[in-house]
Amino acid sequence: MDFNLPGEDDPRRLAVRKWFEANPSPSYAQLAKQGYVVPHWPEPWGLGAEPELQLIIDQEIERAGIVHPMTFNVIAINQCGQSLLTHGTKDQRQKFLPPALACEERWCMLFSEPSGGSDLGNLRTTARRDGDHYIINGQKIWNSMANKSQIGVLIARTDPEAPKHRGLSVFLIDMKTLGVLVRPIVDMTGEEPEYNEVFLTDVKVSADRLLGKEGDGWRIVMEQLQTERMHMTKPGAVWGGGPTARELMSGLIQTGKINDPLIRDEAGKLFVEGELLRLLSLRNLSNRINGKPAGAEGNIGKMLASPHGQNLSDLAKRSQGAAGMVRDRSVLPLPPKEYGLFDNWDYAYWFAPAATLGVGTQEILKNAVAERVLGLPRELDPTASLPFNQAKLVKPKGAN
Amino acid sequence: MDFSLNEEHEALRDNARAFLSKEAELSKLLVPGATVAQAGYDGMWNKMVELGWPGIVVPEAYGGLGMTYLDLAMVMGEIGRSLAAAPLFGTLAGAWAVEKAGSEDQKKLLLGEVAAGRLRLALAVTCANGTADGAHSDVKAVQRDGRWVVSGRNAFVVDADAADKIVVLARTKDKGQFFLVDRGDRNVTVDVLEWRDITRQVCAVSYNNVSAEPLSQSDDDTWPWIRDRLYLVLAAESAGGIQKVLADTVEYAKERVAFGKPIGAFQAIKHQLAELAGLDQCATAGVHFAAWALGEGDKRASLAAAMAQSYASAAYRDVTYRNIQVFGAIGFTWEMKNHLYYKRARSNAELLGAPRHQRDQVVRLLEKTPELLSA
Ligand SMILES: Cc1cc2nc3c(=O)[nH]c(=O)nc-3n(C[C@H](O)[C@H](O)[C@H](O)COP(=O)(O)OP(=O)(O)OC[C@H]3O[C@@H](n4cnc5c(N)ncnc54)[C@H](O)[C@@H]3O)c2cc1C
Repeated sequence: MDFNLPGEDDPRRLAVRKWFEANPSPSYAQLAKQGYVVPHWPEPWGLGAEPELQLIIDQEIERAGIVHPMTFNVIAINQCGQSLLTHGTKDQRQKFLPPALACEERWCMLFSEPSGGSDLGNLRTTARRDGDHYIINGQKIWNSMANKSQIGVLIARTDPEAPKHRGLSVFLIDMKTLGVLVRPIVDMTGEEPEYNEVFLTDVKVSADRLLGKEGDGWRIVMEQLQTERMHMTKPGAVWGGGPTARELMSGLIQTGKINDPLIRDEAGKLFVEGELLRLLSLRNLSNRINGKPAGAEGNIGKMLASPHGQNLSDLAKRSQGAAGMVRDRSVLPLPPKEYGLFDNWDYAYWFAPAATLGVGTQEILKNAVAERVLGLPRELDPTASLPFNQAKLVKPKGAN
Repeated sequence: MDFSLNEEHEALRDNARAFLSKEAELSKLLVPGATVAQAGYDGMWNKMVELGWPGIVVPEAYGGLGMTYLDLAMVMGEIGRSLAAAPLFGTLAGAWAVEKAGSEDQKKLLLGEVAAGRLRLALAVTCANGTADGAHSDVKAVQRDGRWVVSGRNAFVVDADAADKIVVLARTKDKGQFFLVDRGDRNVTVDVLEWRDITRQVCAVSYNNVSAEPLSQSDDDTWPWIRDRLYLVLAAESAGGIQKVLADTVEYAKERVAFGKPIGAFQAIKHQLAELAGLDQCATAGVHFAAWALGEGDKRASLAAAMAQSYASAAYRDVTYRNIQVFGAIGFTWEMKNHLYYKRARSNAELLGAPRHQRDQVVRLLEKTPELLSA
């Protein structure tokens, strides 16, 4: 074991730093061309980098004061781009990846529907094959960034006679296609709207936009969710991002709030927890370096990190008393650093309730940990084996 | 950088586990009325001596195995897992005191004896009111005719009755200093307490003008240095215990049936167990980091040790409490081992101060050394 991160004088770091010195404020396109956006991907997209080099590059991007492209275009770069690499055709990769990595095209995830987010398999949107096209009809909801995205990763039902999880397929659609209507939904923070609803009316999508094979949809989105959860295991305030317990501690010390004995103890507790979560996410990285298979760690990590983040912003808020109710970004200071979207405790706090909803609610994650990590009995879905067009007619027991 | 265990650590851990699952026996303690006298301290000790465990971190130069703190954490984890009862905690503590504060001659002689399994030690630092901070002591040392004698009392001394020698923190005229006394001295009285955790011997010790040999290099850093290592020992035990108790709970939840299904199919149970799995992961990660940092003399070592101990001991309490709930009434009987873990967990969260106390240490370290916030 060696808990030192690659050092300041690590030759790999020096090489990366040299590039940033020669290119002081690189565009995302330049970063992408250099392979720094997804260093762990194979060439030509990335550098085929081992995780350690990946870590170095991420740290150097942060050091250069650049919002990581991942923060800007997380859906494309993290969760969905990865499935294009594995399941996409050569043409699809050529067409979609370069603008995605260069952040010229943003992507959104069109998964959840009014029929349910946790029980995603219950989705109603249909994609009907029609010659060399599919015709898509239905409604999506809670889609982050759909109003700012050019590409939507959509899951729809291609076979209504198959059981609910089997008849699904994934498509990459242009958000400006005729029949796609995006309506922002104002979330409870009242800030920049986080999510949208998306209405799909006779949307005509070319068959070459199908990702993988018809019927592969469930497997593909489950993979994407795992990748996404892995990304959220970092101990930041919201979904792995934003300030951590270190910055909370620093602010509490700086303002003298730390001298309140109750705040002190809670801050100590959160600091310890945050450091341990950091160790866990780095251990996952090391396990990959050492060739140990990635298991279900993403589920444990997100299960721990989401409430941890909520507790961070909660303590930050409480330390301010009534002043914390005023919309004021600077009440508890943060050390200068690039934090991404959640660059102040106020926004992080009001956003916090969403952290245990998006990308799997806390209950769904606990189920996943109990079932996949501990091997406890799986929850039974009485509708799972019925053809979907019959299943959706089943009246739930106990419902009014 | 490598945050995972390597194969040697895993092999050491697996060997220790195999050995202890054969040798460590809790059945005598599961008879109602059992006390620590039935814990089998001597027998277990002798077996540990055969493996060289008393000298596991004693430097090779003094006849020990000179293994790393990570190796130690592997072994302590298994001891925590099996609740194997032997005077190892006291001996490690005493040996560290000698290593840190003894003269070269004392180290040669005493550490060699420890490593050979011929000398068992205990470390007495706790005041009657439970304080163990290295600054306070209810034991006084004075010089008479050029020889030191100590008088006073220590509370909660682990393994004192089993020890051959006791290392005691006493106050001289001007400072705190460590001394060695013979357990067998007729002026030393050891009362084995009715400590609720019967897998561990905890005693009150009093000294009435006992002749004492000073550890000449004692200074203000001695106790914090030892304490950090003892944090590691307890945290590793706790993390090992957590893993075992979690595994037992999961197994039981898969077998026990109620309302036509295994109780592990109910979300109220599943979700609790998922949370415990999280505690397990974090506790273990903290122990590995602390062991590594202490071994490397890393600047985060004290921080890491306090983090590991505060987290693991608090988590251990939660896990052992949940374990009894999931087992139902049978988990509340003396004949089941659940309570042994529950009591060990409580004990680990008190012996070196409560988790809150270590959290305060964490914050104080961060206040003093803000660089630790970005290390
Ligand atoms: C800020 C934010 C951003 C989002 N971004 C996107 C996005 O970009 N794209 C997208 O497609 N979706 C997105 N979502 C939707 C998200 O995936 C869903 O909200 C989530 O899956 C939960 O679904 P739901 O809201 O329909 O709640 P429901 O599934 O109706 O759940 C309601 C409650 O029931 C509980 N519950 C459900 N099933 C079980 C069970 N089996 N056991 C125990 N409890 C259960 C849940 O835990 C929850 O507490 C986002 C959500 C938020 C809050």
